[in-house]
Amino acid sequence: MKFKAFIFGLLVSFGLPWLLVIVVPFSAMRSLEPAKYAGMEIDGGDGVYIPKRDGRIKEGSEVYGQEGCYYCHTQLIRPTYAGSDVWRADWAGLKKSADNPDTRRETLATDYEGEKIAHIGVMRVGHDLSNLGRRLEANLKGTQLSPETWTFLHLYNPRGITPYRKDSQDREERSACPSKPSLFKEVSKNIAGFNALPVASPEGKAIIPSDRARALVSYLVSLKKDTLEQPVPQNLNYNPIQPAAQ
Amino acid sequence: MSETPSSADANDIALRSSIDRSLRHPVMFFFTSGALWLAVSAVLGFIASAKKHLPEFLDGCSLFDAGKIDAAHINALIYGWGFQAAFGMIIWLMARLSRKECTSSGIVLVAGHLWNFAVLFGVVGIMLGMGTGVPWMEFPKAVWPVLLLCYMLITIWSLIQFQVRDAGHVYVSQWYLLAAMLWFPWIYMTANLFVFVFDGNPLMAAGIASWFKGTLFLLFFLPVAVASAYFLAPKVTGRPVYSYNIALFGFWTLAVVGPWAGMQKLTGAPIPQFLPYAGAAAMVLILVPAIAVAINILKTVSGHGETVTASPALRFTAAGVVGLLTYGILSATTHAFGFSLVQFSYTDYGFDILGLYGVFSLCAFGAIYFIVPRITRREWLSRRFISWHFYLSLYGVITVAISAIVGGISQGEGIEAWNQSFLAGAGRAQSYGWGVTIAWGFLLLSSLFFSLHLLLMWARLGRRSSHPTLLTGPHADSPHGPEGEVDNYGSATA
Repeated sequence: MKFKAFIFGLLVSFGLPWLLVIVVPFSAMRSLEPAKYAGMEIDGGDGVYIPKRDGRIKEGSEVYGQEGCYYCHTQLIRPTYAGSDVWRADWAGLKKSADNPDTRRETLATDYEGEKIAHIGVMRVGHDLSNLGRRLEANLKGTQLSPETWTFLHLYNPRGITPYRKDSQDREERSACPSKPSLFKEVSKNIAGFNALPVASPEGKAIIPSDRARALVSYLVSLKKDTLEQPVPQNLNYNPIQPAAQ
Repeated sequence: MSETPSSADANDIALRSSIDRSLRHPVMFFFTSGALWLAVSAVLGFIASAKKHLPEFLDGCSLFDAGKIDAAHINALIYGWGFQAAFGMIIWLMARLSRKECTSSGIVLVAGHLWNFAVLFGVVGIMLGMGTGVPWMEFPKAVWPVLLLCYMLITIWSLIQFQVRDAGHVYVSQWYLLAAMLWFPWIYMTANLFVFVFDGNPLMAAGIASWFKGTLFLLFFLPVAVASAYFLAPKVTGRPVYSYNIALFGFWTLAVVGPWAGMQKLTGAPIPQFLPYAGAAAMVLILVPAIAVAINILKTVSGHGETVTASPALRFTAAGVVGLLTYGILSATTHAFGFSLVQFSYTDYGFDILGLYGVFSLCAFGAIYFIVPRITRREWLSRRFISWHFYLSLYGVITVAISAIVGGISQGEGIEAWNQSFLAGAGRAQSYGWGVTIAWGFLLLSSLFFSLHLLLMWARLGRRSSHPTLLTGPHADSPHGPEGEVDNYGSATA
């Protein structure tokens, strides 16, 4: 094997996939055509689909990455050919009930807008978080807790609070998530004010979330990747029909 | 052993020992500091794994927070141990095979220290919450240019050595080393530029990060391991490589298949659909080069069972080659049938560890057991330490592979059963999680034996003997004569 032929072989065998897998898709994904509503008959309106999210998405997403949440949580609702995520209770959105229509859908390319990297996730030790904000909202309805407070409490002590699913108290529904004490600090009660978490603390002291925790929680409760508030164009909406339970 | 004075002429021996001497400091530095990073990574891996099934474990110690510690563990394993072991192997093998002394060991040594500081800064940065959140690329963003610079300063001399070598045969090992040395900077620059520098779609950033993960193993760690195997198997048995054509075939199939791997992690994500398919196809086809390499190496050493058991270098290498075959078979099976089941389960981690430890590290250990006596001019102190290191490594990596890969399938089934409670499904992983934790305990012990032994060798406390330390008892018919008689430096201490 001649040296020049060897180098040429390496260039071709690596360069071709490099172009096809990295460069071309990167440029294509960089300027995605915005999805358009098809018109009155199907979508009930015209225009362009613009994803909306409230909250400190950019900073929160960064903290999510820094804290390594993606090692145990995913953020991806796969189409049915690739997994059963859309059928799992509350992962893809809300199931049809008296209060709401069926809001489930798959993940769209626009769902990670504003983040540096899509936190697809490594493993599912914990729940998929694509619709964490949505299911907190639905499950905490009628309780004292706001989604934000619940999330602070969960990060502070995941097993210290009642499970958010009202109907289940059993062991299996208890969280297996380690706590994140570094996101909170202990300050004097006078300083804490309304920020104090409703948890036990030493006399005269209170536990408050740090700025990073606020950004993270703001991001987490913004995770509402379903169709409740914002219907997606029909040609993108693969709302699954639930298969009969075996 | 083929290196007996009777079979090689004196000039040759002089050249080899001058090459060894020129590389003594950088190579020993890479191996010892790498071994210590391996021990650190094993501790972190133990804690990270324990937190997955015992969430209260080390609760309240914010440095060891779950998530951050997973990142610190895998990055210490890759950049602390993996790369440094690879550097030692690359610079020594390339110098020996090109028959050129290293004339810049000072620069290599300085770059090696800088590399260590960068990795230390990176790992501590991750644990303090300054990581980037990109799997396998979590070091704070300032670190990657430093690592790339160090990499260049360390390996460029090997490229030069290859270029200025006296014309002659190019060994199979040299193809792999050369390719790995050229692939890595391309992969690393692509990944970091496209993820951290260029502004693109966040999904594509995730995709490219997965591609980095796939190609870093297949096109850097794997070729370096294979290069070492192609060097050691013929060297220790004294036989030529079984088949040149199979070697050629194995190399080019890896070169063609490897660059496509990685994006299977994003199956079902809204990216161009062929990307995950291409990745999964590559992970199936990787079986082909794996079989080619395994056949070639195992055929080369077959019939030399006694040498394989007796020589620490060959025993580790053979285990690594069997690890590669296992990796290929398991990878092809899981990626061909029901990948969605294991996409987000322990299986992925199992493959990472099987590749990095069961293939790369075992081959690296083999290389280290061969190289260190030559550059320190001392023999390994204790046959028992080597045996302990071998068996604990082997049991550890088998336990990880079984718990994580097989356990991951069961976990994946539980999670895919959408009409069951999620935590009931995820709970299936807990007992397998115990397996992974215990395995890291084994691997930690084994790396302690290894580091201690290596540190003793580094302190030049090895045996001054002309007998290599073999894992079976001394033979009267050993080519070195009966133990003790040819010994110029007093009795052996083993």
